[in-house]
Amino acid sequence: MENEKIDSLEAASGITVLIVDDETDFLEIMNKHLCRLGLKVETAGGCRAAISSMETSPKEVVIMDVSMPEIDGIRCLQLVKELWPDTEIIILTGHASVKSGVEGMQNGAFDYCLKPIDTRELVEKIELAARKALVNRRS
Amino acid sequence: MKTLLARLKRLFSSPAAAHPTLEELQHLFTSRYLHFRELLTANNNALEAMAEMEKALLDGRSYSMAFIRAKSTIITVNVFKMIDNLRYIADGRYGQLVVAYRNIEKTIDELIDQSRPAVEGDWVLPLTRVNRSLVELSGEKMANLGEAGTVKDIQIPEGFVITSGAAQAVFSHNNLFTEINRIIQQTDARDLEDLHRRSHQVQKLIMACSLPTELERLIKEQFDLLENKIGRPIEVAVRSSGLGEDLGRASFAGLYRTELHIDRDQLIDAYKAVLASTYSARAMTYRLTKGYRHEQMLMGVGCLLMVEAAVSGVCYSRSMTGERQCMEIFWAPGSGKGVVEGTKDTGRLLVKRHYPFEIIEKKGTPLSVLSDKQVTQISEAAMKLEARFGTEQDIEWSIDSSGSLFILQSRPISVSPWAQSQPDPAPLADQQLLLRGGVTACPGAEAGQVWVVRSTVDLLGFPHGAVLVVEHPLPEWAPLLRRASALIATTGSVAGHLATIAREFNCPALLGVRDALNVLQNGQVVTVDATSRFIYGDRVDQVISCNVDKQNPMHNSPVEQTLKAVLSRITPLTLTDPTSPFFRSSRCRTLHDITRFCHEKAVVDMFGFGERYRYVKGAAKRLVGNMPMEWWVINLADGFAATYDASNKYILIDEITCEPMLAIWQGMHAIPWAGPPRVNVRGMGAILFQSTRNPGLDPAAPSAMVQKNYFLISKNYCNLSFRLGYHYATIEAYISSLRTERYVTFRFKGGAADESRRIARVELLAELLVRHQFRVEKIGDSLAARVEKRSQNVLYNCLKILGYLSIHTRQIDMVMSAPGQMMRYRNKFNKEIKEMLSHGKREN
Repeated sequence: MENEKIDSLEAASGITVLIVDDETDFLEIMNKHLCRLGLKVETAGGCRAAISSMETSPKEVVIMDVSMPEIDGIRCLQLVKELWPDTEIIILTGHASVKSGVEGMQNGAFDYCLKPIDTRELVEKIELAARKALVNRRS
Repeated sequence: MKTLLARLKRLFSSPAAAHPTLEELQHLFTSRYLHFRELLTANNNALEAMAEMEKALLDGRSYSMAFIRAKSTIITVNVFKMIDNLRYIADGRYGQLVVAYRNIEKTIDELIDQSRPAVEGDWVLPLTRVNRSLVELSGEKMANLGEAGTVKDIQIPEGFVITSGAAQAVFSHNNLFTEINRIIQQTDARDLEDLHRRSHQVQKLIMACSLPTELERLIKEQFDLLENKIGRPIEVAVRSSGLGEDLGRASFAGLYRTELHIDRDQLIDAYKAVLASTYSARAMTYRLTKGYRHEQMLMGVGCLLMVEAAVSGVCYSRSMTGERQCMEIFWAPGSGKGVVEGTKDTGRLLVKRHYPFEIIEKKGTPLSVLSDKQVTQISEAAMKLEARFGTEQDIEWSIDSSGSLFILQSRPISVSPWAQSQPDPAPLADQQLLLRGGVTACPGAEAGQVWVVRSTVDLLGFPHGAVLVVEHPLPEWAPLLRRASALIATTGSVAGHLATIAREFNCPALLGVRDALNVLQNGQVVTVDATSRFIYGDRVDQVISCNVDKQNPMHNSPVEQTLKAVLSRITPLTLTDPTSPFFRSSRCRTLHDITRFCHEKAVVDMFGFGERYRYVKGAAKRLVGNMPMEWWVINLADGFAATYDASNKYILIDEITCEPMLAIWQGMHAIPWAGPPRVNVRGMGAILFQSTRNPGLDPAAPSAMVQKNYFLISKNYCNLSFRLGYHYATIEAYISSLRTERYVTFRFKGGAADESRRIARVELLAELLVRHQFRVEKIGDSLAARVEKRSQNVLYNCLKILGYLSIHTRQIDMVMSAPGQMMRYRNKFNKEIKEMLSHGKREN
């Protein structure tokens, strides 16, 4: 596998990404990694905080853990897609499950990532999601 | 979105009638092409994951259920995305795909998440009621022991079994199944530190749990009954008896905990500790290597009256080391722990397998000896047990102070015997011999860096491929055998637990090398010849090359069977021919079929888009310059220089900013075309004959083949459809900064010669393209080639090659049957491509 640097983020460089996860350590690490790559990042510790952040300023791309206390990721995904249909959502999960992966996609997720996160893979998915979100907005 | 679909439908339902504006079409293109690219990316991801799963099955390396679950999820998610994107591009058609997909996905999900069926039966059973028929309840070890107790004149300790049904009740009572599975699925088994942390986490959960009140009562009641029967305060040994443990191909030797000298007050904690050891790091690694599913493990636990042993040991009912007419008996004074952990000096006897059980050989320096009578007693028991179980047995035994023999365990021998080397083999004369001697616990030879392990801290840093050097061969070092190239210990015998596991893992092992810790230094490269019992300084390939073939430890394991079953719904490709009437969405049997179908239909649809796009008024600009054919360019997005005046009808190559197009262009012009090949009378006759059968070959006829050559471009994208001579080809490329979405595709069809010569040209093209990293599919005289996810430079070179071949393979089909032509063109093309690429490199 070629280990090539991502030399330019096109769509993703102009947007803000919202990361939703109840693990604060994970939020901190991802925030640091993605900021270092030139992305603008906001974080939310759960579904309620995510909705509140979206109400303040809608984001083009949301990255969301599927297993969260109170309101789980799939329900949160449904809510966000219902309220902001142009937003693209990448779901994360700590352990793979065919059912949860497909359920996420059926509910309108853009893509699916397994923890531990391969940052490079995630950034590429963010770029693709951002492009789609921008097209959604235009149409 | 609906409006967009309606517009697309209107536009594409009758291309000739629709004349959208350039701006409208550019927007439609962007949106449609985004879906197309997503589909291609999902296709690549799915195929990559399929390849990884197939490789895992063939490689013979260990993989876990987590691997199968993760890869299956990646595949199903990406196939879902493909269907979703295809249906967008195809305006909602192919609904049958969704039905086919759901059926396959449901089956895969069931195969992966199958849980162990609930165990029905008593929670606690006296050992006298246990035999092989109760194996699902009592676990392997106790079922065998109970069965052994039914053999005439065989004595086993008194005791009782806390069944797997009880373990299931404990887990359910404390809601442990979900939490434990969650922790295990997140475990990175390659990372020993993570494995230890997760193992500790799970074991802590089990130790902290409470037993159902009824179970606790039943356990204590059995203990009291036993104590009353013996008539004095008793102590028991609490021993594991896992389901699937002690099966012929997986011994689980010494991986679970045994608690000795346990009284009534300690019993519940000891039970929980043995239960928790199901998730010890060594047990988890072992299961992973041997292909057992963690989530299906349940533990029965035996509580056996302690035997105050005078002498204990192990007996193999047939020798492991070549003397097939003999059995082997290992012994040491006191309990058998020192024998199986390799910490005690152990004696070894080779005894004939028939009465009067003559002793053939005596080795070792034990502190006590066995009497001939005791040897006969053990030998008789071994042969009876072998007869009862129908296979050679690995037996643990003890003799108490009154001289009574107790069988503590009897299980099938888990590995094949090996031939012993010469009694006194000579070391290689030209190599540095560091150490010699010891006992071969697993034959074979490997080299690696020495890594001495004295504690768990040393264990965590153990590098892959190192030679594991320890003082005692304790079972706690078992997790390292997966990554060790060889094992050396200063003590131990063939009968130890770690020796058994080394044999199961095919890890060459030399035990009892007394000076190993004094002579071997960390980091030093050595070759361990466990067969001939030599350790050389440095790597000695001559010895390693004689090593035996390694067996696949996963063979026929539950995890391997699951992978095979899952793959049967994923990888077989039954839809192979897009031209067949059976190439339909309803015929998709596997996820691979769905990817093939989606890819084919999406490509056809996108190329159809390009065809229709040419009709847009004023969109195409003619490329001007010194070139023989007409080339037209349509700008889909940012493919023209910002300074270009859009009202012009013409464009210069210097005004193009599309990098993929420029690469193709360079390839087309790198080396001048020498003109058409000279055709003999027969070749010309074939052309004329073909022309009568195929009106498309007539340059004056209004077929797809006589249209102008078009480049559809944006900065990163290029789609070129063209006809050169009598063949028709399409090159498409997307090369951006994102590796995952880059690709180059090439489709080629046709020619003027007869079919056999057209096919010969396609064969030559395929050969050349494969050489340059393309994946190629051929059907008759058509060819599809693809390369993706490579560096930008590699892909630009691929485009140059396609540009070159498009020009230089013109009309060569007509001479393809002439002797030596194939070879001549192959050499010429290879030489010129090499020149072109090296010239490009110099320019860069």
